[in-house]
Amino acid sequence: MTVSRILGKTVLYLAAFSAVFPMVWTAINAFKNRVDIVTPTPLFIFTPTLDNFAYVLGRESVAAGLVNSLLAAGGSVLIGALLGLPAAYAIARYPNRWSADIQFFVLSLRFLPPVAVAIPLMVIWLDLGFYDTLTALIATYTLLTLATVIWLGVPAFARVPKEVEEAARVDGYGPYAVFLLIALPIAMRSLIGAVAFAFVLVWNEFLIALMLTTSDAKTLPIVASELTQLGRDVPWGILNASVVLLSIPPLLLIGILSGLLNNAFRRKSN
Amino acid sequence: MTSRTRLPTIFLAPPLLILAALAFVPTAYAVYISFRNRELSRPDGSFVGLANYIDLFSDRRFVNAVGVSLTWELVTVTLTLLVAVALGILLFEFASARQRAVLTLVFLVPVILPRVSAAFVWKFAFHPLYGIVTYPYKAITGQPLDLLSNPATALMTVALVDVWQWGLFFAVIVLKLLETLPPQPFEAARLDHARPWEIYLYVALPMLKAPLISLTFIKMIESLRAFDLIYVMTRGGPGITTETLDMYAFSQGFIESGRISYASGMAVLMMLATTVIFTVIWKRVKP
Repeated sequence: MTVSRILGKTVLYLAAFSAVFPMVWTAINAFKNRVDIVTPTPLFIFTPTLDNFAYVLGRESVAAGLVNSLLAAGGSVLIGALLGLPAAYAIARYPNRWSADIQFFVLSLRFLPPVAVAIPLMVIWLDLGFYDTLTALIATYTLLTLATVIWLGVPAFARVPKEVEEAARVDGYGPYAVFLLIALPIAMRSLIGAVAFAFVLVWNEFLIALMLTTSDAKTLPIVASELTQLGRDVPWGILNASVVLLSIPPLLLIGILSGLLNNAFRRKSN
Repeated sequence: MTSRTRLPTIFLAPPLLILAALAFVPTAYAVYISFRNRELSRPDGSFVGLANYIDLFSDRRFVNAVGVSLTWELVTVTLTLLVAVALGILLFEFASARQRAVLTLVFLVPVILPRVSAAFVWKFAFHPLYGIVTYPYKAITGQPLDLLSNPATALMTVALVDVWQWGLFFAVIVLKLLETLPPQPFEAARLDHARPWEIYLYVALPMLKAPLISLTFIKMIESLRAFDLIYVMTRGGPGITTETLDMYAFSQGFIESGRISYASGMAVLMMLATTVIFTVIWKRVKP
């Protein structure tokens, strides 16, 4: 019993180590000079430098990518939330004979291989003159955010006790007031999780951004991946720094996202 | 609740119209250009009927890509679920409530990372000269270990990163699922002197059959999004050993020849295959 316990815990700790260490190692390398990275033996003790971050943050392409990423993710998430939350509420509270079909349609959008959507969209945006613009990127990402917000919003609204809404109705609230003043605030915690998830999806998105942009509207993942493709004399420190920069926003949201996960399962357990 | 109000129409119509437009217009357009011979450099092109599709089936690189994609699906889905179930059970069996809370957060880190980041982090870790994962091998044998340039190991090495991201995440979900089970069957089995592994194999996992099938289904869908990892780690190489369908469609449409119509043909076939297969599975899983 104790042997299996020790073994089991060891495996768990090894898995936890593997989850965190690669990123930690990348972060450590981001503070190294190139000579300390390109060593026959990995170095744990070295003189740290801020040059890599200074270089990355000072580069125009990175700054532009950061702004584009923020605008593309922010814009599409905003539209997704403004349109998606009411839709999710309507599906959760006013079921009709198409509700199941609507939910399946929203889910089935995820079945589409991204490349299959990106190729025709690239041609469409080219023909319309919107290729390589943030407008095209935000419109395309809205497909992603809207579907995600609806998909995760329906269970969040369904968990709001019906009695509360009915009591509000008795007090003379109209259907829109019930949504805005009662359901929305009560479901807010789960809804923030849904919106945060949509943000992370778009922030991390790569293939569509790669195909729909060439210079003006490039997002941060594209800029970072271009840095990773540099030829000889690879500036490893700069690479590590740009990857760290790219990974910070999603990692900041990890608490909210794990809260979303907890909520989703708390409902089933009672 | 069902008093007459136009709220459902007002709330549902605009977003559904937008979703439908964003989904169906590109789909229809992909079908349309796949019947033409449009290229990136020439805006027009003419109707060529099924020529692109006929070419695809005699294109050995396409056949190779189908094989790589199927292997990728099989390997990543199977390994992810095995890792998830194993770690989920270990979490449930051996971790205290506090440890569970901490490990849950830790196990979510890989899947939250942008795939470009995950791909780069591991690409560097597997670097034959400076990588920290390959270092022990190099130190012991004196030979560099180049897993990503070896045709025999490249795909599996990239798959490892995918399993690292999703297996740990799904382990958390398996733990949450186990936590929702009633304790009585466990106690009954324990009274019957069942060994722990027997309890999980014959009691707990069968009770979780439906959610585990759903997880498999989700992973099958998410495994279609292999592009980012492969693009950053191998670009389809060495040769074409890690060239999945999306990678091949991308390189046909952009990098090599700009044959948009040919790439669209591939896109249409992929859409057809995934939509049909996943719809059939979904309808079976969720009656």
